[in-house]
Amino acid sequence: MAIKPECIAMLLAGGQGSRLGILTKSIAKPAVPYGGKYRIIDFPLSNCVNSGIDTVGVLTQYQPLELNDYIGNGQSWDLDRANGGVHILSPYQQIKGTEWYKGTANAIYQNINFIERYDPEYVLILSGDHIYKMDYSKMLDYHKEKNADCTIAMLEVPWEEASRFGLMLVNEDGSISEFEEKPKNPRSNKASMGVYIFTWEKLRAYLIADEAKEGSSNDFGHDVIPAMHEAGERMFAYQFDGYWKDVGTINSLWDANLDLLNPKVDLDLNDDSWKIYSKSPTAPPHYIGSAAKVENSMITEGCEIEGNIDFSVLFANVTVEEGAEVRYSIVMPGTVIKKGAVVQYAIVAEDAVIEPGAVVGESPENMADINDWGVAVVGNGVTVGKGAKVAPKAMVDTDIGGAE
Amino acid sequence: MAAKNVLGMIFSNAYDEALPELTALRTMGSIPFAGRYRLIDFPLSNMVNAGIQKVGVITKSNYRSLMDHIGNGKAWDLSRKREGMTILPPYNSTETGAFKDKVDSLYGSIDYLRHADKDLVLCTDCNVVSTIDYDAIIKAHTASNADVTLAYTNGIPPKMRAATELVMDAQGKVTACRGIDCYSSAISYSLKIMVISRTLLERLLHEAHSAGQTSFEQIIASNLQFLNVYGYEVGGFVRVLSSLGSYYEANLALLDRANRNLLFDPERPVFTKVRDEVPAVYGLNARVSNSLIADGCKIEGEVENSILFRGVTVAKGAKIKDSILMQNTYIGENVSLASVILDKSVVVKPNKMLCGAQNYPVYVGKGIVI
Repeated sequence: MAIKPECIAMLLAGGQGSRLGILTKSIAKPAVPYGGKYRIIDFPLSNCVNSGIDTVGVLTQYQPLELNDYIGNGQSWDLDRANGGVHILSPYQQIKGTEWYKGTANAIYQNINFIERYDPEYVLILSGDHIYKMDYSKMLDYHKEKNADCTIAMLEVPWEEASRFGLMLVNEDGSISEFEEKPKNPRSNKASMGVYIFTWEKLRAYLIADEAKEGSSNDFGHDVIPAMHEAGERMFAYQFDGYWKDVGTINSLWDANLDLLNPKVDLDLNDDSWKIYSKSPTAPPHYIGSAAKVENSMITEGCEIEGNIDFSVLFANVTVEEGAEVRYSIVMPGTVIKKGAVVQYAIVAEDAVIEPGAVVGESPENMADINDWGVAVVGNGVTVGKGAKVAPKAMVDTDIGGAE
Repeated sequence: MAAKNVLGMIFSNAYDEALPELTALRTMGSIPFAGRYRLIDFPLSNMVNAGIQKVGVITKSNYRSLMDHIGNGKAWDLSRKREGMTILPPYNSTETGAFKDKVDSLYGSIDYLRHADKDLVLCTDCNVVSTIDYDAIIKAHTASNADVTLAYTNGIPPKMRAATELVMDAQGKVTACRGIDCYSSAISYSLKIMVISRTLLERLLHEAHSAGQTSFEQIIASNLQFLNVYGYEVGGFVRVLSSLGSYYEANLALLDRANRNLLFDPERPVFTKVRDEVPAVYGLNARVSNSLIADGCKIEGEVENSILFRGVTVAKGAKIKDSILMQNTYIGENVSLASVILDKSVVVKPNKMLCGAQNYPVYVGKGIVI
């Protein structure tokens, strides 16, 4: 018998991420591209490997094709293991019928058999929605040291934003005294990151109880954790301080990408001791032409740049022709931006074509009413015709004809 | 696919002496090229793209960097239970020692050849940079009923040991192989890429070994009247690396889009080891023009007509022109470089200046601090 893992991770990757609109029309949120060559799921997966957790179940449900394909056998993250490794867990048919994952807790409940096969001491529950680098092994040490039943990772958010989060009131010894879900008048700024460690025996019992309970939404935040708290289980908060960002909306996804260009932001992807792994495209180094001007930007392999790039993140195999301008934008793999086109304050998804003279997005300074401003989004494979305009805040998922 | 029946053999050390600077600590096959590749990536990827599934890589010395690079062949999908890639280091028996030349090294691997269970063998060196359709060579070989097919290209031949001109008749049958004495006009010269039947190869090797012959090319040349030897012309982007100067030229030639499109055909990708670097980051006053930049670079200075490998740092105020900077080199503030080749992990401290000439680049060895 191989060595039994002490802790395995269950990664909830089934969410649609509906607030990302057309970007998640055909892919699940964790598969959304980020940072030039990554996808969101690279962060929790790399964190697991770097923390020494080598058994990871990835729970998928919404549009899993691209995600399954991307994860493959897990080789990109060194998770192609004989013992453990990465496993894609989709809902499956059982003798009592077929059920979708009804909620986060139900998704884990339906995979109790998977977890039992490894018989771990602890289970780490993660979501595929956040950009952060975190050593889960330190959190596990804390969980053991406190002899906790449940440890919730938390970070201090600015008070003015606190009401958007699930908050915790924490005692001096680190134990949690109270939970508040998105309160109007927050009494705490300690927000849950959606990262939990449970002692498996306890969690197993609560999952079964929750499943049997009528009217439960089968959700960790709403049902399981409050139930454990009420019953007086040992609940602790583990403080994390570092970069953490929920990329659940267009604006936050755009922000999180541009954060990479800000030297003051504490997210170093170049740290050899904590690499973020991804599936790399097979493309030559990128080429910057004689007429090009590139500043404050991130550019990756296969790009051909003849235009001007400022404060932008370009993914693999993007072409920017002479005289084209790309500012404060995210351009995903394979997109072509033709002569004289302008892409600003925008997210352009994969394999789009921006024809000559087209304008995507607008600078907030040029807006008569700042409330009308927002990041413009061009969907996968969309062609924006010659001289056409895409308004700020617009989401375009069908071709736009030329302006003639 | 015809290539299923072909064994690929790559000589990773052949012509090491042509590039003494770059091969001091590595094989020809592991010389860095074009920002993120090693020379062996080109023949290996050509083989994989042609459908060749069994590849032997012959090495004789300095092969640690090569082993580190190709590992178990995963990056080329050659880590297989059936077939796949095998590294063939020198094998000491009573008859063979450290490989001295191609005949020796092939003879030392004769058991591997015999057990490969393939009808044809495709042999290549690592000093030819080109995206070649090996499948087409194999098909031509079969169609012409040849014993041996030699790939050649037309152009000014490289100045190097054992460079050979192929003289062919109208059908492409090779009638003579001769040494080259004129380097000013275009001729058809051999790329030392050969398709041969395995049994013939074994026979020729036994003969050569017992007769004490050392040059494999010579064996073919001296048997022209008994063998059906055909030429196969290779076009597109072809560079034979025969000196530091030609290495420099071949790299910078890729700043030309037409050359880049020929070498990096999306239908025939060049695979290499993945390093998981972040995308290149351009700082506030970065000025980059006509350059190839790999992932992991951090640029705050000026870069012109140059190739930067993975993980190069160019600090503020530095000016780099017509240069090749290999993996993890560090260029300090206000450094000025022109026509230089910096090997891996070279550090140039602030305010230093280093300048070669376009026809004679200055080379700085691995890890040197200036």
